[in-house]
Amino acid sequence: MADHTKRMTRIVDHLRANWQIYVLLAPTIIWFLVFLYRPMYGLQIAFKDYSVFRGIEGSPWIGFEHFHTLFGSDQFIRALKNTVIISMLTLVFGFPMPIILALMFNEVLNQTYKKTVQTVVYLPHFISTVIISGIVITAFSPSSGVVNTVLDWLGFDKIYFLTKPEWFRPIFIGSGIWQEAGFSSIVFLAAIAGVNPSLYESAVVDGASRWQMMWKITIPSIMPTIIIMLIIRIGNLLEVGFELIILLYQPATYQTADVVNTYIYRQGLQVGQYDLAAAAGLFNAVVAFVLVMTANTISKRYSRTSLW
Amino acid sequence: MRKMKLASAILMTTAIAPVAHADGHLQIVDEPLELTIHMHWPRAQGYNEEYAVELAAREMTGIHLIDATSGKNTTDHNEAINLLLATGDLPDIVGGHRIKDPVNQYGPEGAFVPLNDLIEEHAPHIKAFFDARPDIAQAISSWDGNMYYIPYLPDGKFGRAYFIRQDWLDTLGLEQPQDVNELYDVLVAFRDNDPNGNGLKDEIPIFQRQWEELIRYVTLWDGRSSGSDTYHDFMVVDGQLQHPYATEGYRDGMAHLAKWYAEGLIDPEIFTRGSSSRDYLLSENLGGMTHDWFASTSGYNASLEGTVEGFNFVPYLPPASISGVRMEEHRRIPFKPDGWAISHTNENVVETIKYFDFFFTEEGRLLSNFGVEGDTWNMVDGEPVFTDEVLNGGIAVNTQMYEVGAQIQRGYWQDYRYEWQWTAEAAREGIELYDANDLLIDQFLGVAFNEDEQRVYDRNWTQIQTYMLERQQAWILGTGDIESDWDDYVAQLDRMGYNDVIEVMQAAYTRQYGN
Repeated sequence: MADHTKRMTRIVDHLRANWQIYVLLAPTIIWFLVFLYRPMYGLQIAFKDYSVFRGIEGSPWIGFEHFHTLFGSDQFIRALKNTVIISMLTLVFGFPMPIILALMFNEVLNQTYKKTVQTVVYLPHFISTVIISGIVITAFSPSSGVVNTVLDWLGFDKIYFLTKPEWFRPIFIGSGIWQEAGFSSIVFLAAIAGVNPSLYESAVVDGASRWQMMWKITIPSIMPTIIIMLIIRIGNLLEVGFELIILLYQPATYQTADVVNTYIYRQGLQVGQYDLAAAAGLFNAVVAFVLVMTANTISKRYSRTSLW
Repeated sequence: MRKMKLASAILMTTAIAPVAHADGHLQIVDEPLELTIHMHWPRAQGYNEEYAVELAAREMTGIHLIDATSGKNTTDHNEAINLLLATGDLPDIVGGHRIKDPVNQYGPEGAFVPLNDLIEEHAPHIKAFFDARPDIAQAISSWDGNMYYIPYLPDGKFGRAYFIRQDWLDTLGLEQPQDVNELYDVLVAFRDNDPNGNGLKDEIPIFQRQWEELIRYVTLWDGRSSGSDTYHDFMVVDGQLQHPYATEGYRDGMAHLAKWYAEGLIDPEIFTRGSSSRDYLLSENLGGMTHDWFASTSGYNASLEGTVEGFNFVPYLPPASISGVRMEEHRRIPFKPDGWAISHTNENVVETIKYFDFFFTEEGRLLSNFGVEGDTWNMVDGEPVFTDEVLNGGIAVNTQMYEVGAQIQRGYWQDYRYEWQWTAEAAREGIELYDANDLLIDQFLGVAFNEDEQRVYDRNWTQIQTYMLERQQAWILGTGDIESDWDDYVAQLDRMGYNDVIEVMQAAYTRQYGN
């Protein structure tokens, strides 16, 4: 009893002393509750025969039927495969780019040149996806596109890229890197800026070259940031940016382009099968959860850096 | 014939009442009655209580519509109506774009009021319309046999037509192609003989704004691309439901289209050029022929006059198919999935159906088509004629109508005289040409599924259609050969449940139209 009261007093004291911090924290917590936790209640429609009018409570339970439907469908399996392949490729080719960019910016001595290049590579991030898709379609157009014009000069045949399944992934991943690599490099630049300058000063005294300083000081110092970013990326692995896919794909390229989210969009949302779409989305979320847990555990074991 | 019957039926019901609304013969209630309305459609998310048409309707009927639209911040009407249903708080009237499927699905569950008895007892003008067009009454009914909404009924028969560069034909000394073989020769000449005279082989004989429209050309080999004005729709042949993409006419047509594509007779960028292709290819003097809307396509003759030397893009008769049939597969659907319905929360259903009926009276029909008499139009020799300000106002007539609340997607019966008045001369000639020939075919007007049928359809159809379209584009692009792939294709459709879908379609069709 006494123990209990003592603990209560401690909590009250703690709150009184630090209330400003909790007030600052509150908006984020409320945001999480309203936009992420409360909607979880609706996830149950993945196990129901959902009717918008009857509502969530009024719709009958049907167990795992939607999941059976999904896994009995060749197109869902194909979409799942495409999602994994596209995300993996994006990770392998897309993740190192901002780090490389940040390291390169760090080595540039001319400030004006550095700022200009940085602005240029940040810009695509602020362009809307619809415009990006327009730029991509125009650039790869067989008649007037810059890519085919160059191919023509070099004596190659023109290619109708956006109807060729084998070209979809390189184009999609490439345009993703073009759009986001610059902006994503900001966080690594910030990490580099936080490296203790005395490390470099003593390295210079010891006669280290710039190359050696980058490998022995910069990269090891920003490694925790890199790993945290990597874990976050792995958590979002299945969240392929499907807006751009919807804008770029064609039935002719579904074979390599159709991902889980575009499948959900066509199968679920366009024809109003919210329950089936929820089942597919829930499956996606479960896989993402397992991935981020695994990545975090591995990272904790081998590098002592982790999200929690 | 049918039109005559309909017109006389309407006349009979309206003849009883004297004209002029000042005497209040259209008055539905003595005291003003307010009804709330959800109205969501692509051009407006919400019902403007200040529409001139609304103000006039208030004066004539005593009923005031109050805007209670859900989802005003989205332009997606589907999302809006689902949002409305999910809140459970339905306004008295639910109207707008594409409400047919939701009202027919949730009506039998109790969300909307069945209208059959109400129409019978309180809506003589709507009843007269449906008595003359029982096929439409059947087509809009839900699986339980009840009607749940009053549709927007478009008028006019023709939508799209085949257009060709008459000036190119003249330059090359060619005639308009009368059949598919002549068409082929003309297209080859367009490709090879430099009709635009710039010395480059840059002409694109066939182009389309929507790639789906290219598939329409399979009708030249007696195939079909769709049974209705929606792309990839089912069709009815001798009372049997079929999908056009599972028929042999389609196979033969596609084989030829693939050949035409490979030979460069079809826009090489047909799948990605998109909606601006007509603008671009016509103004750059590159495009030779297309299949597109009468009115908007004819409009290029005026807008490109002086820009493209001698530009003359004319509608011409569909070339005869290999078996000699001239077919215009596209036509306007006689009713839209748009309109309005009465929700279960409405406490004044009789007044509401009378209000719906008002728009089928002569006065209501003129009001919903042309706006307020004296403001936007006047009666000239018994014909409603738009004022000069409307016709020459520099803004499209339909846009002006939307602004006053006419031609919006309430349940109303369109009057083709509205559109004819501002249709370009070239298009009018084309429509008359098409009208003089027997080109149209019966449309598949859709079916309403019960819950079990809906489940079979939902589970299988989207996937099957995805597969069909994948193969369709692949064949056009030359990845695979339709003739040799056909048996595998049909077998794959079977595996995906094509026959199950046809079975439920057929069951629903028989129930709805009684064979």
